[in-house]
Amino acid sequence: MLGTLKGVMQAPVTPLKDDFSFDGDGFAKMVDFHVRHGAPAIAWPHHKAESLNLTIGERKLGAEIAVKTVAKRVPVSIFVGTLSEEDSLDLARHAERIGADMILTISPYCRRPAQQEIFDSIVRIGTHTDLPVLTYNSPWRNGEGVEFTGELTRRLIDRLPNYIGMKDASFHSQKFLEISRVALKMRPGFAIIQGVEHLLAAYPLGACGSFSSSGAIAPNLCNKFFASLEARDWASARECQFKISRLWRLFKEQYPSSLKGAMIMMGRPVGPTRSPLPTATKERIAFLRTQLEELDIMRTEPQGW
Amino acid sequence: MTPFKPGLVHTPVTPFKRDQSIDFDAYARLIEFHLRHAADALALPMPEGEDLSLTDAEQRRLIEFAVKQVKGRVPVMANVSDAGTSIAVDRAIHAEKSGAAAIVSHPPYFWHPKPSMVVEHLARIGSAVRLPFYVVSPPVESAGTALTTEIALELIERLPNLAGVVDASLDFVFMEEVISNGQRLRPGFQLLAGADFIVSASALGGSGVFSPLSGIAPKLVRTLFELCSRDEFIEARQAQEDIGALHHAIKEAGASGLMDGLAGLKTALVHMGRDCGLPRPPVRPLGEIERGRLAATLAGMAFLRAEPRGW
Repeated sequence: MLGTLKGVMQAPVTPLKDDFSFDGDGFAKMVDFHVRHGAPAIAWPHHKAESLNLTIGERKLGAEIAVKTVAKRVPVSIFVGTLSEEDSLDLARHAERIGADMILTISPYCRRPAQQEIFDSIVRIGTHTDLPVLTYNSPWRNGEGVEFTGELTRRLIDRLPNYIGMKDASFHSQKFLEISRVALKMRPGFAIIQGVEHLLAAYPLGACGSFSSSGAIAPNLCNKFFASLEARDWASARECQFKISRLWRLFKEQYPSSLKGAMIMMGRPVGPTRSPLPTATKERIAFLRTQLEELDIMRTEPQGW
Repeated sequence: MTPFKPGLVHTPVTPFKRDQSIDFDAYARLIEFHLRHAADALALPMPEGEDLSLTDAEQRRLIEFAVKQVKGRVPVMANVSDAGTSIAVDRAIHAEKSGAAAIVSHPPYFWHPKPSMVVEHLARIGSAVRLPFYVVSPPVESAGTALTTEIALELIERLPNLAGVVDASLDFVFMEEVISNGQRLRPGFQLLAGADFIVSASALGGSGVFSPLSGIAPKLVRTLFELCSRDEFIEARQAQEDIGALHHAIKEAGASGLMDGLAGLKTALVHMGRDCGLPRPPVRPLGEIERGRLAATLAGMAFLRAEPRGW
């Protein structure tokens, strides 16, 4: 089922009911919306899906709904990164059992692991499952975060035959190139997927696509963007990238509160955001509306489900 | 007036003698080398030129010397960055009088200023001269303050001569935001790649580069720049990967906590037959084992065989 990973892949948000409980029916609708609007793959639950705010039970339930709803139309990636490695192993086993196509993982974060600790952690998860494995490069400024250097990537490719790609959230010319020039030589087809769609700067250097921040609002824009890249229509790609960049600026504050807020006016309400993240206020939603109108999103993107 | 477009800008190192004084004979040779190898402009002394290790008088002297040596063949862009606003302002005025074609400045080093203070610092430098003015967005690892899109946009409002941003942050998000918003306020606002990672900046609409590696591999840098100038980004990938490998080898050489690659850069210059001496303290020169390791890595880079050896 795996095929070639490419394009702006969709990472659905997690719909919640008004009492903040997980909305399974809403989630199935969300996933189906993405597939019908051209998502080349579905990936859940990323930070945008409030992954760290979901119980392990909810994550398993959501993974089952995703796999069932997608029904093999496109590949499904399940994120198994957690605060505790034991939970990640459990989620990886579960993903394999229910028929997911791959897992995405990171070593337990919030702890500044050393390169060797990240290596050990990924090897432990990667040898624990037969599923293809993606890792999540999330370096922050000043050496915080979990960073996959080119050298670490090389060692992991060497060690794990099922290591197929990287979600790269470095968004940095040098860091990206360190990974791409090493990985793509060792394992042609290694999928380097931008963490959100800051894709234009990386595509010519071998990025195969991105996970999406804005796809729940503007799937047409996402698809047009990737088509422009494949056609090497750089002027159109720039226009799309700059528009997506403006959307990202709107959404990244307390992500995904504003994104969920903006979905209301697209006719796709997905409920509140769990604490400690705030739920978008009425004023914030009114501001988002003016911005989406200015960007011509309301006219060019699908309304409702 | 035709807008100033710097193109492929070489950023020479500063050669030192054994007593650590500036070696002006070597500097003259180095400038001629850069001009012979197709520099569209020179910018100095940039961080690769160890600007932080030079006195104010030396920095002025370097600009005067370079302008005389170049004799108008290409524009000379003067880096006037300093921690103190008045020091940088005076150096900018001096550079203009000396015949520099443009002024370059980082945000103020060392302090942790609020954005309004950064704007004030840079606005004073820019308004002290009539020359085109470029602000540098520092590497993400560097201490001190970042240059945000908001700061750049405010500077566009305040400075008619603000020509563009030289991006050494290598941050995709910053590049996207600063060029798209900057060009809305000032059509023709430029984004220049602040290191030799030209593909990403150019794909986003960047139009030039400050190239530290042009002292080592000027032909490859020129090839990469030309491909990017023609929007042939996919075709540029191999050249960009070669440059990436060279950059990596130089930056990783040695155990400098500064991670600036200065010691590696000067060692690589020696390897190419263009001895510019050792870096000044506090940059630690490479030890014998590190030098050998870097030399072996460089010897293994087939693409370097096409590059000029010696002066």
